[in-house]
Amino acid sequence: SSEFNASYSMGRLHIEHMGGERVFSCANCDCPLTNRQQLISTRFTGATGRAFLFNRVVNLDTSELQDRVMLTGRHMVRDVSCRKCKTKLGWVYEFATEESQQYKEGKIILERALINESEGFPDPVKD
Amino acid sequence: MENGSGCLNGSGAADSAEKAQQQQQCPAVQLSERNCEAVRVIGQYLRELGLARSAEALVLEAGCPLESGAAAQFRSSVLLGDWDGAEASLASLRRALWRESSWSEIAFRLAEQRYLELLESGAHIAALCVLRGKLTPLQFSPDRLHRLSGLIMCSGPEELRQLSGWSGAAGGTRQALLDSVEQFFPPSVMLPPKRLSVLLDQAVRAQVSRCRHHNTSLSPDQLTLLADHSCQAAASVPSVCSQVLDAHQDEVHVCQFSPNGRFLATGGRDCVAIVWLVEAAANPPGAPRVRHHLTLRIGEERGGVAWLAWSPDSRLLLACAAEEATEVIVWEAETGDCIKKLKHRDEDSLTTAAWLPDSNHFVVGGNRGHFYLCSVDVGFEKAWDFIRVVALATRREDDGGTAVLAADTFARIRRYRFDTMQDETLFREDGPVMSMSISQDETLLAVCVASAGVHLWDLRLRVCRRRLHGLTHGAYLLHASIGGPNQDFVASGSHDARVCVWHRGCQAGDGAQQHLLPDKLSGHGGLVSCVSWNPRHHGMLASASDDCTVRIWLPASLAAAALAASADGTGPGGAGFSSNGCCSSTVSKHQPPPLL
Repeated sequence: SSEFNASYSMGRLHIEHMGGERVFSCANCDCPLTNRQQLISTRFTGATGRAFLFNRVVNLDTSELQDRVMLTGRHMVRDVSCRKCKTKLGWVYEFATEESQQYKEGKIILERALINESEGFPDPVKD
Repeated sequence: MENGSGCLNGSGAADSAEKAQQQQQCPAVQLSERNCEAVRVIGQYLRELGLARSAEALVLEAGCPLESGAAAQFRSSVLLGDWDGAEASLASLRRALWRESSWSEIAFRLAEQRYLELLESGAHIAALCVLRGKLTPLQFSPDRLHRLSGLIMCSGPEELRQLSGWSGAAGGTRQALLDSVEQFFPPSVMLPPKRLSVLLDQAVRAQVSRCRHHNTSLSPDQLTLLADHSCQAAASVPSVCSQVLDAHQDEVHVCQFSPNGRFLATGGRDCVAIVWLVEAAANPPGAPRVRHHLTLRIGEERGGVAWLAWSPDSRLLLACAAEEATEVIVWEAETGDCIKKLKHRDEDSLTTAAWLPDSNHFVVGGNRGHFYLCSVDVGFEKAWDFIRVVALATRREDDGGTAVLAADTFARIRRYRFDTMQDETLFREDGPVMSMSISQDETLLAVCVASAGVHLWDLRLRVCRRRLHGLTHGAYLLHASIGGPNQDFVASGSHDARVCVWHRGCQAGDGAQQHLLPDKLSGHGGLVSCVSWNPRHHGMLASASDDCTVRIWLPASLAAAALAASADGTGPGGAGFSSNGCCSSTVSKHQPPPLL
């Protein structure tokens, strides 16, 4: 182990937490992802069925950029997976070719079946 | 002079005045303006040192008078006490003033000196004449005039000097008068006082501000002029790996020296905390080495050691486990006895901890949303709820109580008092906080911010003092440590398998930018997650890495000595240097460490 080997790099992962009263986490390993306040829409569909569109999600790894044609048009997306257990969870919109779809850019789709919703708590700090 | 051509008769006993005059007619060297200025400041320096003849000779040979004729006249008149002559010279200098309005002040000071000297020598009538005829008409500073006229009642020179604070004609006041007048005239007429000394001092200070490893207590006027100043890194900054500690079986995630510098604790994914002893070798003195002391197990189901915290008295070691950590363990470091296992709730995740100054109470917390005040005697004592804690530290406050500093998942660093149940946000970071570490004197906080670097906060002023860049970012937790005799050094891990060491530098100056880039120490084979400075042996740094080793780094001068000692195995310091669990490698990074 004197050679620098990239596959060795397995320190303790830095796991963020967005807080919130209703928390969404990875169904496989319970890694916190996002919360209800970040939820924009519930009317999306993914590979496993219903999917949610979120504004901001943490603890995700992203894949390489992919060109995909969807029901709503052509998009450039990256797949996202849980940083902790590497389960694929959905995708993030990088670029939408149609103007009406540009509101999705930068937002993340997480498949409903692959995430858990649980009880969090409000932030007690008032400043 | 008869010899118009300037050639001197070598045989004649020409007196120095003639020679001087001849030389003045044709100076030996033609000087540029800059060189002439240089000669003037050197001449002034020589004269201030008392080498008046050398100064004169310099002026004659170079043909650059130190100052204008009238100024020279003024100077000599004042030094001789020829007040009328001084007044006359001053009158002819009046045109040269920066501001016409300063005229009355200069004339006042001159007359004041004359007045005080007359009073001192007992010539009261003459002094009164000066007061009426010279000082009053100037109408400058009625207060001072009033005080001066009061001094006429003094019974003798002693009382005069005492009451006025003036040290007398012989007390250097004439020179002080000249120094104070110089500022009113442009340098072409009169040089500013001590010009060369000022320039030399500025140069040395600029060198000091650029010194990357500056850690000397010498003041700028004690530093040599003969070479540019720069502190030798070899003496203070760690640069050489003197030991590779190979006892762990898996990635090492934490390393911490005890506050008294005698122990090192390391822990990682192999669920084991190892306590090492730090020994300063007797011969040569000051080369510290580390050897294995105890191996303490925390149990495989805990996912590894996430954090280790020493009690302030260096007696107890607390270990937190990784993610599903519901329990913390406290051992006595010397014997290895487990003296406390603390668990509060099954849903807890207690991944970080800090001790309070009494070495009995400690705080533990994690990102599930609770942090607790506990003690070794009693166990769980109090909870603070709904704060997801990322890192903890404690700090003594002015009223004698202790504040708990906690970084939370909203990137806030807040202060909590368990005795008064008061809390307050100190400051907010602009990115997610990975870890934080407080300096030994509790004035500085090093905060590792994901994808941003290490930010140094001043805890008294609540401002960010420095942003340290240059470490390699990534997805894994990094820890930093503040060390050095004046909390001058900051070290941190990095994702490129190197240890980063910054010298914080003193106040921001021209050199400020250069201090932000770290020295990088290579040698580890994997991500370096944690570093720790030894609080007693100041140049000694430990680093924990994913390559399953812990490395000890020393300044080059100490390291050479340490290796020499290990080379003969049983040095004069004793036979205890190669106990099991620790192998000391040579400096070369390319040799694998020897098998146990």
